[in-house]
Amino acid sequence: MPAAPIGHRRSPRPRTGALLLVPLLVPLLGAAAGLAGCATPAPPVDVNESGFGDNATGVVQFWDRNTTSPFGKLLVDRFNATHTNLKVVLTPVQDTQYVTKLATAIRAGDAPDLVGIDDINSQLFIYHKVFTDLTPLVSALPEKDKLSPAALNLTTEDGRYYGTPYVADMSVLWYSRTLFRRAGLDPGKPPASYAQILSDARKITALGHGIYGFAFPGRCEGCLGFTLLPDIWATGKRLLYGQPGHETAFVEGNAPLRQTLALYRQLWTEGLSDPESQVETGTTWGKDFVAGKVGMMPLAYGPIAAAPASFRSQLGMTLLPAPGGGATATFDGGANFGIPLGSRNPSGAWEFIKFALQQAQQSLAPSAGFEPVRSDVLTPRFRSQYPFAAAMLAGQSRGYAPKTIVYNITFNQPGGPWLNMFTAAVFDGDIAAAIRAGQAGFNTAIDLGKS
Amino acid sequence: MTQETIQTAAGQRWAGRGTGGTTRPGKRRTGIVRRPKIGMLFVMPAFVFVAVFVLFPLGFAIYMSLTNWPLIGAYHFSGVHNYAALGKDPGFIHSVLFTLLYTGIVTVPILVVGYGLAVLIRSNRRGSVFLRTAFFLPYVIGLPTLSYIILLELQPNSGAVNWVLARLHITNGATAWLVNTNLALAATCILVIWFASGLTMVLLLGAMQGISDDLYESADVLGASWWEKERYVTLPLVRPTIALSLIISIIGSFLAFNQFFILTQGGPGTSTFTVVMWIYQTAFVQLHVGAAAAMSVVLIAVVGVISFVQFLLLRSNT
Repeated sequence: MPAAPIGHRRSPRPRTGALLLVPLLVPLLGAAAGLAGCATPAPPVDVNESGFGDNATGVVQFWDRNTTSPFGKLLVDRFNATHTNLKVVLTPVQDTQYVTKLATAIRAGDAPDLVGIDDINSQLFIYHKVFTDLTPLVSALPEKDKLSPAALNLTTEDGRYYGTPYVADMSVLWYSRTLFRRAGLDPGKPPASYAQILSDARKITALGHGIYGFAFPGRCEGCLGFTLLPDIWATGKRLLYGQPGHETAFVEGNAPLRQTLALYRQLWTEGLSDPESQVETGTTWGKDFVAGKVGMMPLAYGPIAAAPASFRSQLGMTLLPAPGGGATATFDGGANFGIPLGSRNPSGAWEFIKFALQQAQQSLAPSAGFEPVRSDVLTPRFRSQYPFAAAMLAGQSRGYAPKTIVYNITFNQPGGPWLNMFTAAVFDGDIAAAIRAGQAGFNTAIDLGKS
Repeated sequence: MTQETIQTAAGQRWAGRGTGGTTRPGKRRTGIVRRPKIGMLFVMPAFVFVAVFVLFPLGFAIYMSLTNWPLIGAYHFSGVHNYAALGKDPGFIHSVLFTLLYTGIVTVPILVVGYGLAVLIRSNRRGSVFLRTAFFLPYVIGLPTLSYIILLELQPNSGAVNWVLARLHITNGATAWLVNTNLALAATCILVIWFASGLTMVLLLGAMQGISDDLYESADVLGASWWEKERYVTLPLVRPTIALSLIISIIGSFLAFNQFFILTQGGPGTSTFTVVMWIYQTAFVQLHVGAAAAMSVVLIAVVGVISFVQFLLLRSNT
């Protein structure tokens, strides 16, 4: 740039040049803001102060999963009708987005007051220390010893409680007594081993006319974990061992796992399974069973509760069997309550939790397709009103749910090692290779999940 | 004006001094001197918008990429660890290769089909307006909606695709398209070519209709065939628009997410993960937002470089 002639003002180009620096400064400001904004932790909650959880006022923001929100809505409506100074506002969140949305909300300082989280995801948040310590409150609950032991276990860390059970969703093996009779099988003898499942499925499929002995959701990783894992647990073995944050996977050499994959492979190759099994992603899970076209199916209680009473009345149910028989187990799924750090009304949240755990409320769970989380709901009246839910509740003490921070990344992902292993074994056919790849996949996923 | 005249004269005098005698008109400095504040005021709203929604988050993302930012819990600074780890992440590398493969497959067909459709409908014959709407409709509907429609139509035994194929005796109607990598990729590519060629068609149509008829008349006088007219008149003049379509199409393919997320969710296994899907996976499933931010920064840089190169190569030389 030539020097300005004497007597004339210097060109204002330096000013324009300075302006060009602004677009470069803004990203740096963004970085600085990020540093400042996310470094401040949420203030701790004092659960010991007197009157905590009694006669709270204001509003409680309650995030529930879509799946459990029918029960959540029922509870919220009953609570709001009987509490004048405290209102609970329910926000259903899509299941697959729940962890992400909750994590980002906590990070942004905009956490809800109360969460109803998938119980196997509780540990993820507890491990990262973002749920409130509720130990004195939970210990003082009169019903504490009646609460689902597996679900309560998922709220603990180092002997302290960071939540409570909320509602139970357990997996069982349903079978149609009508189809059993038609196939010449004893409707009072539910399948108790893999050999029996196979032979029963063969007889039912032989009925023809679009009837199949078995069905499963081959592209729904969550459903498959929910319904296959108990078969393995019934033998006393598991897929994940170790404390949260120090998990290891037992895939290779896991005999019940191999037998389970082999069973499903055979059910598929022999044509004993509904063809939809290969493409079912879980959105219409159980549809063909409820339509009366499938003889046996591992399922939750929800699709059954929504089915016509005429269909339900001819159903039989058993917990999921071990491969060789002689034992059964169930996945004690469902949801747990938690109060995130940053909750603006933790006292109100605890008051709602106490309400939700009362017998009067828990006994309504089957009407929404779930099971209660307290065993003393199992009265003769409850048994006659909800025979299936009562039978499942009776088995709750034998229920199990994995206490881990890597369940989401290993089992509940479409591209995860669990679904990959299942697909390779059942649809592609090389079970040994699938298990080898599965062990490697689980190891990688666990390393990612722990870091 | 007087000031301008003086400046111009002065510029000439001083330019002559500095450059050995050549004179050139002085630059219009008064424009800059008089109007910077008003000009900046007009630009301010757009600038604020870009600063808030583009620059600020970009800075934040760059910062996050230098930490181990987890989705839940506390974080700490980790320098360039995330960038160094990219080369050792087989999932990331596979997703990059898959995205490049996918881009390579769809880019030319989108352009060729779009060009062909534009040629088909650029005259104002009866039915042209209907055809224009019909061809552009997929783009208007949007890729997520189209993907959900196709998801249903690709179902074995019940979807329209298999029904038609079975009627034509090409397959038995039970093909499970989306559980096989190659079939899923083929189906997705066909979907995207159908979707994106509409936009290419509309862009090229606009450019073609802007070509003066005189040029075509001159070509007719010279006895040019249809193909020669296309090659020597139309193509050179729509070249900038072709460049624009290519850039939009390639950037869109690099950032592919919706169609694969809806149709295959990256499956079977992780074989149909694109780069953006892997970023999503890393951030929201593996909870490693810092690593995902690093991948995003790398993606931005790559897309920027490729767009720049494309602009250079395809710019008009006239």
